[in-house]
Amino acid sequence: MNVLEINNLTKKFSDFIAVDNMSLTIKEGEIFGFLGSNGAGKSTTINMVAGLLRSNEGEIKILGKNIANHSKFAKRNIGIVPQDLAIYEDLTAFENVRFFAGLYGLRGAELKDRVEEALKFVGLVDKQKSLPKNFSGGMKRRLNIACAIAHKPKLIIMDEPTVGIDPQSRNYILNSVRQLNEMGCTVIYTSHYMEEVEEICSRIAIVDHGKIIAEGTKEQLKAIITDTKDIWVDVKSNENLEENVIKEINGVNTVQVEDNVVKINSQAEVSNLNKIIQYFINRNIEIRSLEEQAPNLETVFLTLTGRNLRD
Amino acid sequence: MNVLNIALLQLKISIRDKRTIIFMLAFPIVMMLVLGSALSNAFDNQVKIDKMKVLYKETHNTSIAPYFEQFMKAAKKENIHFYKASDITDGKKAVRQNHYDAYVEVSNKGMNFYGSERNSIESSIIQGMLTAFADKYNLVSQVAKVKPNQTQAVLAGGTSHDYVKEMSLNAKKAPGSMDYYAVAVTTMIALYGAIGATFLLRGERTRNTAVRLAVAPITKAEIFIGKIIGSIVLNLLSLFLIVAVSSFLFKANWGDHLGFVFIILLSEVFLAVSFGLGVSYMVKTGEAARTLILIILQLASFFGGAYFKIEGADGMMKFIMNLSPITWANTAITKNIYNNDFTASLQVIGLNLGIAIVFLSIAIVSFKRREGF
Ligand SMILES: Nc1ncnc2c1ncn2[C@@H]1O[C@H](COP(=O)(O)OP(=O)(O)OP(=O)(O)O)[C@@H](O)[C@H]1O
Ligand SMILES: [Mg+2]
Repeated sequence: MNVLEINNLTKKFSDFIAVDNMSLTIKEGEIFGFLGSNGAGKSTTINMVAGLLRSNEGEIKILGKNIANHSKFAKRNIGIVPQDLAIYEDLTAFENVRFFAGLYGLRGAELKDRVEEALKFVGLVDKQKSLPKNFSGGMKRRLNIACAIAHKPKLIIMDEPTVGIDPQSRNYILNSVRQLNEMGCTVIYTSHYMEEVEEICSRIAIVDHGKIIAEGTKEQLKAIITDTKDIWVDVKSNENLEENVIKEINGVNTVQVEDNVVKINSQAEVSNLNKIIQYFINRNIEIRSLEEQAPNLETVFLTLTGRNLRD
Repeated sequence: MNVLNIALLQLKISIRDKRTIIFMLAFPIVMMLVLGSALSNAFDNQVKIDKMKVLYKETHNTSIAPYFEQFMKAAKKENIHFYKASDITDGKKAVRQNHYDAYVEVSNKGMNFYGSERNSIESSIIQGMLTAFADKYNLVSQVAKVKPNQTQAVLAGGTSHDYVKEMSLNAKKAPGSMDYYAVAVTTMIALYGAIGATFLLRGERTRNTAVRLAVAPITKAEIFIGKIIGSIVLNLLSLFLIVAVSSFLFKANWGDHLGFVFIILLSEVFLAVSFGLGVSYMVKTGEAARTLILIILQLASFFGGAYFKIEGADGMMKFIMNLSPITWANTAITKNIYNNDFTASLQVIGLNLGIAIVFLSIAIVSFKRREGF
């Protein structure tokens, strides 16, 4: 079943086109990654799905129903973790979650159970009576998530949930995303952190200038990059290395030395591995290991958009 | 239910904000205490009611003449002195020139009363007595302020045998400085509800919680109504505490019709909240809305007599004073407390509601149009 279906969606802010004729389908059970640099249009797209912004053109379907005619149905089935924290500093963690869950029609004992469940899920049960004022950044982020999941939505949309937090909280959040997914939630996850997306997402869309420029599993995305390869040579000592000489070898594009690792980027179709190894042997540089790197998403992103994910 | 949830939320987050408590409770109470006691001397001299002078004209051989004679005698004991006018005297002019506190024409048809606007307390005491007197003798009486062409029938007030005594007891209850400032500061702080209202919905946006409200399966109307109810209840609660403190601790006189007083205050709070909300949608930034409202409130407070009582104002000054909702509420509540006069209250309540609806409509239209929130 399609949890989310976006067809030819366009959003303009006066003359500026933030989302440009975008189409996208997300199936039940996916963790779908939205990759894009600042201003790519990720939040704008998400906000239209959540009903926060009106689209200029196109349609959005949640669980098969057009949100234009089934707004309440759509809203009930979506949980959104906004990019900016959206919590009341003067309410305790418990009160925050209870208030928002209460807006979804939960009452009484059921409400209380769900709130506790959500707080437990993000690891804030101990802190449920404390005010978020006194929370660390990571704890606030986790509360921000708890507020979005207590009503058990089918689709959870997380807009950069790990911005500016400690590694421990980040791991916690990544794990909870996986867990939510295992419990049957479909997740849309946007991030500036390639590693995160690579780690948890089953499918990824790269967004640039309001358009999806590539989409697929990470293997599919990496396969897009076929014209170069990366060869990493781990050496015992880099004393006698001459980068310029290596660069002379047929097919080699760039050479970088980082500590004892020589990173060589070369054209894919030229077979020059023997020549490279020969160089190290001739100079009497001991090779400890040598591997051909699979292209990573960072390179894919850079190649496709001409920009780094983070500036 | 959602409305209730949102109203409760609004109450909770406001009450937990220390600034709310300081601003809505501590500030007015301290202000009452300081102004009420610091200015008490000056004040008492000004308001003290000693001798009241009434000019009267009587057509010959009226049937009530003997009773009126009696009435005047009784009144004299309470320090209200009646002076007979000659046929050629212009009674209204004499009052206008402040030679007398009131002027009465007594004839077989009834009584015509002209009270001094300047000495409004005195004139309303006298009016009250005469009304009671007229009631007793089934006289058709007419009352007019010394403001040409504005004649209105007297509302039948409570009658009693000892009308003179009762009314002069009221006279002794004439507002002292604490009584005055209790009312003036309370009506002022009711209007200050406008400040909080500018942040009622804007605050959700700056806090970003607007996003969650907007994605929840509730209607905008529920959010809007819940927020307004929460804000009004909060303001009323604080006014209730202020009135209680001023009444029990400072012994301010709030009269015998507290329910009515609170209905006036409620209408004023409604006006304030709608005004704040309306302006917050008319002005771009929250800071600008706040500043604009603060200036308006300061002016309204000043001309509404919240800082010091403005007496005997005429012309332009009087016109400006009458623009202040604080003046309206003060007048209505004072009449309520001291003369059991509710007509003024009804007018003020109507006026407050009318203006509130205008500002509220502006807010509703803008709120509906806004994307998301
Ligand atoms: N309300 C708005 N009015 C005008 N322009 C807007 C508005 N919201 C977003 N934009 C513009 O639309 C573009 C897309 O913004 P969006 O927030 O969707 O980007 P994003 O991909 O989420 O970026 P980030 O990674 O920084 O969160 C940006 O250029 C932004 O400046
Ligand atoms: Mg964004």
